[in-house]
Amino acid sequence: MAEDISFIVKDRSFEKFGMMLILGTTGDAMDVKMNFFFTFWGLYLLKKKFKPKASGMPFPMKGMGGKIFSKRLAKFGMEDPWGMIKEAVENGNMKLYPCQMTMDLMGIKREEMWDFVEDPIGAAGFLELSENAKIVSL
Amino acid sequence: MIKTEKKLRKREKMADLTLNALGKKCPMPILMTKKELKKMSPGQTLELIVDDRGALKDVPALIHKTGDKILETKDDGEQITFMIQKA
Repeated sequence: MAEDISFIVKDRSFEKFGMMLILGTTGDAMDVKMNFFFTFWGLYLLKKKFKPKASGMPFPMKGMGGKIFSKRLAKFGMEDPWGMIKEAVENGNMKLYPCQMTMDLMGIKREEMWDFVEDPIGAAGFLELSENAKIVSL
Repeated sequence: MIKTEKKLRKREKMADLTLNALGKKCPMPILMTKKELKKMSPGQTLELIVDDRGALKDVPALIHKTGDKILETKDDGEQITFMIQKA
């Protein structure tokens, strides 16, 4: 039986958001259980109102990357990324866990996040979840 | 009328369902195919048309996981057509 995969998301760039979106929804289609643990800056990706910026964009285009990429993704068929993520979560194969400690550290509240995000957990909780999983840091 | 249609279908081996994923990029072809497969009955066939080159590896990877079968793959350099059968 295939291993589960645990991803640690520590950045809030559009690129990391995209990786979470694509790996998570594809894992759901392939019935691979994927847990995403959001910590430090990664927590911003879980906020309903947050618009990630493309960190790799060259200087003159900085700040515009997120908008440009979002438009292109829509053209490719991904008009509603959070809708796709919600579906994968509802199917049971994708779980989004915020890290309690860094939520407190950075002053980010549960109410700011999407409601299909799991309750916050700590390091021990994450390690227990990941016992038989591959751990990947995004 | 119906008899001729049935003969045509048999001769051309038309699929029960066709999924046009042209212009859609990874992971959309995979997600769309999985959705269709969920609705299908065993034995039914799905013709999937894509132009995303990554699909050449992605679709077999999905089908390997779902346990269904790829009966045929046609690649004309621009479009790839998969004939998939639900197990």
